[in-house]
Amino acid sequence: MPDQLTDDELIHELKRRFELNKKSLKELKELNAELKVVNKKLEESEALKTHFISNITNEIINPFTSIIGLSKAILSVDKENWKKVISMVALIHSEAFNLDFQLRNIFVAAKIEAGDIYPEILRVDVKNLLESIIESFKFEMRKKKLNIQFTIDSDIEGEQAYIFKTDPEKLKLIIANLMSNAVNFSFEGGMVEIEAIRKGRTLSVIVRDHGIGISKENQKIIFDRFKRVDSGINSLNRGHGLGLSINKAIIDMLNGKIAIESELGKGACFTISIPESEEPIEGFASDANEMFFDSESEVF
Amino acid sequence: MDEIKQHYLYPAALFAEGTPHVVSTILGSCVAVCLFDPKTNKGGINHYMLPLWNGQGLASPKYGNIAIERLIERMLALGCSKSNLQAKVFGGGEVIETNISNFQIGDRNIKIAIEMLQEHKIPIVAKSVGGKLGRKIEFITHTGEVRQKYIQKQLI
Repeated sequence: MPDQLTDDELIHELKRRFELNKKSLKELKELNAELKVVNKKLEESEALKTHFISNITNEIINPFTSIIGLSKAILSVDKENWKKVISMVALIHSEAFNLDFQLRNIFVAAKIEAGDIYPEILRVDVKNLLESIIESFKFEMRKKKLNIQFTIDSDIEGEQAYIFKTDPEKLKLIIANLMSNAVNFSFEGGMVEIEAIRKGRTLSVIVRDHGIGISKENQKIIFDRFKRVDSGINSLNRGHGLGLSINKAIIDMLNGKIAIESELGKGACFTISIPESEEPIEGFASDANEMFFDSESEVF
Repeated sequence: MDEIKQHYLYPAALFAEGTPHVVSTILGSCVAVCLFDPKTNKGGINHYMLPLWNGQGLASPKYGNIAIERLIERMLALGCSKSNLQAKVFGGGEVIETNISNFQIGDRNIKIAIEMLQEHKIPIVAKSVGGKLGRKIEFITHTGEVRQKYIQKQLI
């Protein structure tokens, strides 16, 4: 006859096993909840394939078709009608501009997903950079008769007021995506406001439009890639689409933040905040607070 | 003798090149998986921050399940054979004190590495994971060797 457990020992063992079960059950519930979420994403991903084709058609194939059609039309214009050519060339520029912009987005998204993208920190004149982005949208804004208001402020005085250490190409793409959405979702004759504030070691840029706006519900999903607020195939405006999910990924990389304030019918206001980068030393940030233990490395 | 190129690996990125490099990175709760093929003498490394991509946003190597798959793909693209690959795993510390018991990002980052490498039948030949300290590691891609130092600093 094996030794019998005392009552206390038995109770203790049962309690231990019960706690273990309880913990396992909790973990199982959590995993199940995560599984449900991922499963829903997989379903959406399947549906996304059809949207992908729709998006590619909207963003890439249609502009190419327009450019080909317009350039063909120019070839057949007789000399007396050269004034028509100017407006056709303007349309070609518009389509090519959008095409260039979307392709940049796609290439950056590919790099992000490949893990092949890095901050390339430079000292940037952010006033200059913002002005050049606004300038590049001039034709698009003229087409919709939009007005633009740009203000920039800094709490640093003198020639260093707008010199900010960050990645200029990625900042450009972030702002261009916000501008593109603001222009696309504005009503004709509306206003787009861009406000930049350099405060200490943080740069904030606010892009505000007074157009269609985004409902509270849709604000939750707006950073999903290829998600668009109006999923209808025949929606009049290009969706927020790939741009905002790229923005989120790039802003994360620069250790920044993005916020939305919007209501349906009352325009949208996007605010990004980016901290100034450290000067790279041997390729990464280093400061006096870092304490290494031991002078010797452990080797594996 | 040529000087070996240096590369700093940012979070959410990965690195796998055919030529020898010393790749350095800093880990808090993040995990780095180093893969090495002793037949071709080629290595690659990732650096991810969270265990699982949940379908939201871009499928970037910021997430462990994406980062490990991508790194294996990159190693195969370099001409390595999966049956030759060996893994070393680093990081996953809990460098931020928290009372929330299921907010153990470091632990979950470690687990995803171990589980996925097991699924791929890639042996883990060395690891330094967990604990309360951050780590700076340097991975020499053509020998597979990793040098590690602990650091005391708030890292995310």
